[in-house]
Amino acid sequence: MTVTTDYSDATRATGEAIIELEGVDKFFGDFQALKDIDMRVGQQEVVVVIGPSGGGKSTLIRCINRLEKHDGGRVVVDGTELSDDLRNIQEVRRETGMVFQQFNLFPHLTVLDNVTLAPRQVRKMPKKDAEALAMQTLTRVKIPEQARKYPGQLSGGQQQRVAIARALAMQPKVMLFDEPTSALDPEMIKEVLDVMVELAHGGMTMIVVTHEMGFARAVANRVVFMADGEIVEVGTPEHFFTDPQEDRTKLFLSQIL
Amino acid sequence: MTVETPIFEETPPQVEPARGAVDWARKNLFNNWYNSLLTLALAALVIWALVTLLRGLLSADYEIIRANLRLFMIGEFPGDQLWRPWAAAYCWALIIGVVGGSLAAGARDRATEAGLPYVRTTFRQIVIRSWPILVLIVVILSFTTTITPTLLTIGALAVGLGSYYLSQALPRAVRRGTWLIAIVLIAASYLVLAGFGGVGWQGWGGLHLNLFLTFAGILIAFPFGLLLAMGRRSSLPVIRTISVTYIEFVRGVPLIAVLIAGAFAIGFIIPRDIRPGFVTRMLIGIIAFEAAYIAEVVRGGLQAVPRGQVEAAQAVGLAPWKTMRLIVLPQALRATIPAMVGQFISLFKDTTLVAVLGITELLEATFVVNSQPAYLGKGLFVITLGFAALVFWVGCYTMSRESRRLERKLGVGER
Repeated sequence: MTVTTDYSDATRATGEAIIELEGVDKFFGDFQALKDIDMRVGQQEVVVVIGPSGGGKSTLIRCINRLEKHDGGRVVVDGTELSDDLRNIQEVRRETGMVFQQFNLFPHLTVLDNVTLAPRQVRKMPKKDAEALAMQTLTRVKIPEQARKYPGQLSGGQQQRVAIARALAMQPKVMLFDEPTSALDPEMIKEVLDVMVELAHGGMTMIVVTHEMGFARAVANRVVFMADGEIVEVGTPEHFFTDPQEDRTKLFLSQIL
Repeated sequence: MTVETPIFEETPPQVEPARGAVDWARKNLFNNWYNSLLTLALAALVIWALVTLLRGLLSADYEIIRANLRLFMIGEFPGDQLWRPWAAAYCWALIIGVVGGSLAAGARDRATEAGLPYVRTTFRQIVIRSWPILVLIVVILSFTTTITPTLLTIGALAVGLGSYYLSQALPRAVRRGTWLIAIVLIAASYLVLAGFGGVGWQGWGGLHLNLFLTFAGILIAFPFGLLLAMGRRSSLPVIRTISVTYIEFVRGVPLIAVLIAGAFAIGFIIPRDIRPGFVTRMLIGIIAFEAAYIAEVVRGGLQAVPRGQVEAAQAVGLAPWKTMRLIVLPQALRATIPAMVGQFISLFKDTTLVAVLGITELLEATFVVNSQPAYLGKGLFVITLGFAALVFWVGCYTMSRESRRLERKLGVGER
């Protein structure tokens, strides 16, 4: 992987850009959650977004697959610009997988049905192919033996890995992680992070909102620090953990490390 | 100071275990003079009430029910056409058996696949579960004058049970067609009643009519209620306003007013030759009314589905209506089972309101028979009303018990 990045410039990505945000604004009523965000993510890049809660991290990645509608600027994913056109939105969502803090598995479906649902309904894949693919992704997250169970029968860590498998089954080009380990008991965090590290090593483009600094240090190409709806600082993990420049960054890191 | 007491000391049982009925009674019923007195007085009262009731039940003359049993059950159905209701009853025994068996087999397959324990329902459990219905059947059969109805009933029960077990043994591929079989059988059950010179629902009556209005009302009102509930949450103002207006208007009107309007007001609006019959109008009134209530029940269920479920479905690219059909509705409807059954129970009882138009459903029939010359002025209302009460109680209690069972069952492994 050739990585040539000017870390002081948030808008420059590695390789060919797959996600481009230009001047993105987002309001909740009078509150501005995102202020003129510029960001590019290159193919096979792993970007970790950190920052205090309420800083706009989740809103940022939820704008990328249109779970939130941005109010200004442009969001382009793999050449498709998000607009009110439902077809564009659907196209972007097919290419982006998302993993939520609360897993959000479908409790009335078995693990296998959770994973095969989207390939069958959205990609119109035959049942047999979808199940083969599902078993493959479940093997990738190391729980193929749980396929016939219901989510309620699994531990939190297992549920989150199923959620990752569900997203992977759509064979997305980008994976978005919204605090994937924040709702987990400490002993289960590692099993989820291990899967994510393997994904990153496998060349998946990932944007990860997390507080797991160990993960950021291990696999992030870039770390983005957000606060008050702005991107405050961008850099390599080394840069962040050894030589942060901004006061807000230093304060945040001193609080969590 | 040394602490020697272990923190989790075994606490001795607070209450001394009762050593027997006598001990228990002495401790709880006769522990001082006034409690003993109260116990005796109340016991006397209870025994007196039971004896009086039993005496009344045993000494009463049930001729009024015996003579009018057919009226109570099927209204004024022509006597020479009785094979029709019986054939329909056999159809329904088959429907209940096949659908029940196929549902049980589905639950068995899912449980086995998920590695959950599956406890199969035994014959004994089925009998215990349906005891109110069995008691009612025995009571009704005790009023018959020939052996034929008893034999036919035993036959119908056998058909139901047989198809229940048989359909469980069917291969999966065949069981997928159960709904088709059920629909065909439902059509058949109507055809044997009404087709080829039979009697259509305009001429039905008695308990049969109550059951028909309940099931047809629920079945047809349900999809409308679903649409209204979704309409109420729609982002399109026009649809939302129409839904809210309809729901709130209907909920503000008593059912009996809707029925009376259907009976009399419609007469002025629709010309005579295309005017539907009384029972049809009543059915439409019931559907219009129930749809609004079902809509509110479903809305509660929709609100119980967490926002994250919709987001997860959207995130994998599911289209909005598929998200509704595959993710939201299955969870929402599951959450509404208790309220929905409550609604059905009140509908079953409310079908008696069609009596205001002189339609002889069961309750009306129990009044009508008291003005027959042989029973006029004999004060037999207690007997006929008691009989109607037993029938309605059995229906409502069974529905309520089955809904609680369903709730418990759905709670397992799927939450």
